[in-house]
Amino acid sequence: MKKLLSIVLALILCLSLLPLASAADDMSEEANLVFYVMGDAPKDEVAVEEAINAILKEKFNATIDFQFSTWTDFNLKYNNTLISSGADLIYVANWENYGLNANNGAFLEMDELLDTYGAELKALCGDGMLNMCRVNGDLYCIPALWPEYVSLGIKYREDLRAKYDLPYPTTLENIEAYLKGIKDADPAQGLLRPTNTESASSLIIGFDTAYLLADKYPWVAPFGMPYGLAANYETPSDVYDYWFSDDFVEDCKMFKSWADQGFWSKSALSDTNDNEAYDNGLAVAEIAGMNPNKQITSANNFAKEHPEWESAYITYGENTGVLYPGHATQNGTAILRSSKYPERCMMVLNYIMTDEAMNCLVQYGIKGKHYELDENGFYVNLDDSFPYEGFNTWNLRVNDYKLKQPTDVALQAMFDKYAELGAKTKWPNVNIWDGFTEDYTDYASERAAVGNVMRELLAPLQAGLVSDVDTAVADFRQKVTNAGLQACRDGFTEQWLDYCAEYNYQ
Amino acid sequence: MSSPISTARLAQGSDRRTDERRKLIVLGLCAILVLVLFLPFFTWIRVADQDALYSAMGLKASVIKKLTPDHSILTFLSFVETSKQGVLGFWSFLLLIVALAAIALCLLAFIRYLRRNRVAEGKGMLRTYSTFQKGMVFSFATAVGTIGLIIFANHHYGLAGFAPGISLFLVPVISLVGYAISKRLEKTERVLCREHGFIEEFRRNWILFLFLVPCFVFFLINNYLPMTGIYFAFTQFNFRDHLFASPYVGFKNFEFLVRSEILHLTQNTILYNLVFIVVGNVLQVFFAILISHVANQRLRKTSQTMIFMPYFVSYVILRVLVFNMFEYEVGLINNFLTSIDRAKVDFYNTPSYWPWIITLFYLWKNVGYGMVVYLATITGISTEYYEAAQIDGANIYQQIRYITVPLLKPTFIILLLYALGGIMKGQFELFYQLVGNNGTLFSTTDIFDTYVYRITTTQPLSMGLGTAAGLFQSLFGFIVIVLTNFLIKRKNPEYALF
Amino acid sequence: MKIKDPSKMGFSVIKGVFLTILSLLCVLPFVVIVSGSFTSNQEIIRNGFSLFPRDFTVEAYKTIFKTPEDILQAYKMNVYYTGIGTVLGLIVITLTAYVISRKEFKYRNTVSFLIYFTTIFGGGMIPWYLMYANVLNLRGTTLAIWFPALITPFLVILMRTFITGSVPDAVVESAKIDGAGHWRIFWQIVLPVLGPGLATVGLFQALGYWNDWYRSSMFSTSSKTWSLQFYLYDLVNSTQAMRQMAQYANVNTADLPTQSVKLAMSVVATGPILILYPFVQRYFVSGITVGAVKG
Repeated sequence: MKKLLSIVLALILCLSLLPLASAADDMSEEANLVFYVMGDAPKDEVAVEEAINAILKEKFNATIDFQFSTWTDFNLKYNNTLISSGADLIYVANWENYGLNANNGAFLEMDELLDTYGAELKALCGDGMLNMCRVNGDLYCIPALWPEYVSLGIKYREDLRAKYDLPYPTTLENIEAYLKGIKDADPAQGLLRPTNTESASSLIIGFDTAYLLADKYPWVAPFGMPYGLAANYETPSDVYDYWFSDDFVEDCKMFKSWADQGFWSKSALSDTNDNEAYDNGLAVAEIAGMNPNKQITSANNFAKEHPEWESAYITYGENTGVLYPGHATQNGTAILRSSKYPERCMMVLNYIMTDEAMNCLVQYGIKGKHYELDENGFYVNLDDSFPYEGFNTWNLRVNDYKLKQPTDVALQAMFDKYAELGAKTKWPNVNIWDGFTEDYTDYASERAAVGNVMRELLAPLQAGLVSDVDTAVADFRQKVTNAGLQACRDGFTEQWLDYCAEYNYQ
Repeated sequence: MSSPISTARLAQGSDRRTDERRKLIVLGLCAILVLVLFLPFFTWIRVADQDALYSAMGLKASVIKKLTPDHSILTFLSFVETSKQGVLGFWSFLLLIVALAAIALCLLAFIRYLRRNRVAEGKGMLRTYSTFQKGMVFSFATAVGTIGLIIFANHHYGLAGFAPGISLFLVPVISLVGYAISKRLEKTERVLCREHGFIEEFRRNWILFLFLVPCFVFFLINNYLPMTGIYFAFTQFNFRDHLFASPYVGFKNFEFLVRSEILHLTQNTILYNLVFIVVGNVLQVFFAILISHVANQRLRKTSQTMIFMPYFVSYVILRVLVFNMFEYEVGLINNFLTSIDRAKVDFYNTPSYWPWIITLFYLWKNVGYGMVVYLATITGISTEYYEAAQIDGANIYQQIRYITVPLLKPTFIILLLYALGGIMKGQFELFYQLVGNNGTLFSTTDIFDTYVYRITTTQPLSMGLGTAAGLFQSLFGFIVIVLTNFLIKRKNPEYALF
Repeated sequence: MKIKDPSKMGFSVIKGVFLTILSLLCVLPFVVIVSGSFTSNQEIIRNGFSLFPRDFTVEAYKTIFKTPEDILQAYKMNVYYTGIGTVLGLIVITLTAYVISRKEFKYRNTVSFLIYFTTIFGGGMIPWYLMYANVLNLRGTTLAIWFPALITPFLVILMRTFITGSVPDAVVESAKIDGAGHWRIFWQIVLPVLGPGLATVGLFQALGYWNDWYRSSMFSTSSKTWSLQFYLYDLVNSTQAMRQMAQYANVNTADLPTQSVKLAMSVVATGPILILYPFVQRYFVSGITVGAVKG
């Protein structure tokens, strides 16, 4: 028993000491850098890595080994990689909790490294982009350098709209008219397939239909802030209460009337999240989680499978006047705190993002073997063992070196339109909301309880599947208050106002 | 009291008995002294140089105000928590557990001593001694570990901030004395009871120990060493301090359990599990018996394979099948109801249907799998029993009732006991895939695991929450299983799990 | 020795009715799955499942077998993991179960308790992961994929029940008196009568390994070590995840007919074991034939 205990203790000590080691970088020692990225490996991973490493070895005495999360349990494995110090360089994104991880010390502060080893890269990024990546004043990632718009909106069937002579689904009234018009003309036609929202945004909304709120309110965060708060894009620091407002009741009543009209299934709360319904004509619009790229994908699908159908897209921002590009932290690269070769990491990163040949090699593989350019300068894949952006390194995108695909033309056209609209706002083309990171350590258990009440009571409200809205709203308000809403709101508001003050969003 | 021992005792000289009694009193004193010294009034760790230490820790005046200089090992963790010194957390936490174990063992030794006349035959005082010795070893370990902690802390902060209290040196001395005396007493008692110690057991059955080596290595690596992770339930993880030095936060991670409708969740989880266990086993036994009576070889195998098949249908696919069946507008059942002019049923907004649906699919998926164990047991039953019964004129129901079922009982009890340990753990996949995140149905379908899953997915990096929830489930299951095992052991030790 | 048993008739009816109903209930969904796997994805999405394929196509299987060498590799790994895990696991489990079934072994209860304890308490996934990935440094090896499931406490306890049930104490005692050691008792007395137990535990062990994707997911660094289940599971996950991903960034999503592929996947993954199953079966379905033959 004693022996067992001492063995246990000894091993535990070893275990706890493991992630501590960190020494100065010695250039004469070959550095094998693990670059952790999302998704699945391309088949020709080894060949492209060899080509990359031949250059890196000579220039920096370093090699890169891309390791992939695969798409199974990727959040879990991403966290494991951070905890087990399983990489040197790592893909980061706001949807992978970049801010939270940085705040908790997962990544290395980069300012000095960037000054010393990445001067070109720093110049290329510009202070504006880098500042967006700062968390509490420190820089933890290098953003991708390709301005893109992922503005939410409604994807709908333009051919049906024209056929039945219905209004463009811009405002909520028009969306209702569009759906109702189709329903009247063809009662058997499925309309919407909204589902319960999965984890990522579940502390803001309960059900997919809440995305429509972005079409009604000119909010700074697309569908409201956490804990039922809201603030307008023009006045971000003026936080107000949404859940306890009359607007909220009114919106819930609208959702109920839509549900009663049969715009979506009565069983929607347990729906299996069928992504393919729209592409197969089972739904005539998608309202949640849409963006320009998804519209392009659907348009291409239609062209292939159903040339008589036409997909169109209207961003909610066109209606509310709130439009801005994706945030810098949408795709980025960080260095793990535990990396043994932080200097080499920065040198390599700097090189990949500032050297055109290298960037193309990483993103598109070996020219002539995996891809070539056609007469119009478009990217053409030659071998699908290394597809476009085969390493899934969206974080290494650089606008100047990006090889365009034919679909990028339509996409760029949409971007240009949004950029123009975005320029007219009070904060021209600034994504305010996504740069904010909430630290909820102090009220985590209240937050958990609030989230649970939202799942239980808010989701049915937003799905319109309650018998009486007023009672259900009262019940929801009561329970969510009991769960500790005020503590969450206080904690959140304080941090949000600090953030607004820091960046001068008044 | 068993007779051979009492006669042996009577035969002893009275000298010997007074000597033994004297030693026993010393043992009792040792145990009491150790227990007293563990009380929080006795200082084990003292903050010797307050100003220097607190500034080395970088504490604010408001925090310092809350700190006291004298600590027992039982209270030291609260110092760690208030001063946010996660570095000392894991070590202190381990020591606290060892200390609690020492206290429990000393108390248990007393209880064993008082009950010495009622213990099982042939063991005499042996169990008392062995418990006492363990208690002494643990208290010794606590004291030595605390000295280690002080040395480590002083080294970490680079100054002699902590100093040991007098009690800290008394405990190991007392423990050693108690241990030595008890060892000597045990030796004479062993001879009396014809019992042997570890070394003798190893000499006799070394090959059995050899058999156990792979199992020992496996569980050490796969389970016991990672069990240190239970500590994370008490910390607020961050990457800077990493796993074992993140701030110790006491029971903060458990708060969310209290905040939820814990009673309701517990009730749902337990009820579902009980139904699954009871109905599941009854059906498995029922069908195992039916199949074993099918005369035709091929038919028997075919039906058995068919019943086994649902086990291979993954829950992800089951989810799609179920949704297709129960959906309101185009679901199979509602289509059927419409076709016979009956009103549609709104399954997905009516909680009361779901306990039935979930149980049904659970059984459907697991009857074939669980049945295998019973089939194998039935196969092992000697045919002589049945032949004899037939000669006695027992009909087939009587044969089942009086031969098959009783012989399946041990297997059933083992499976039951095994399942009871996980009574607070749920079939997460089953519930999550069939119900999804449908809040309307939660009143009847939310179990502990689905609740915890919802909470932890909204709180990335919340390793503590998940671990805390797991610990709660474990403790619950542990208490249930220890009680059940105790009851079963009293009735029939053959059936006990351990 | 003819015995008239009127109860047999009634029992036959009960037997027939219940077994037929249950067998049908169990097999129907499987038919739906197989038929769905031969139906085009659009058809499934539009008209749901059916008992017979409405438009026969092998598209889904083509998608899965698009790169046959990959899926063959995954099959190979699955066979390897299942083989090594079942054989080694069965040996270790039986040895352990034998030890804790021996009454003369002083620490049998302690050992049983320590084994059972691991099913109740655990440190959670992360320390477990760190143990293999950092302490033992096994990430990317096949060892990390089969070792962690080598012993299932449940199967040890189950095996103990089989041993106590099929080897009476008297037999072991008399063998001991004849001078047999544990080694000989184990090999010559216990093992030969343990057929049903070995078959059952071996089956459970093999099923556990065959169906595992989790450890491949956690510890693989290259698709070379993927198990079949993980290979298939990841195929569907990647489509879904990419689609979700596209919500946050402009990413080109792969096009995979999810519904029919999912169904074909289950067929591909389950097929081999369903074919093998009857061979193991005879060890525990020999049945009580006495009544049938002589009645």
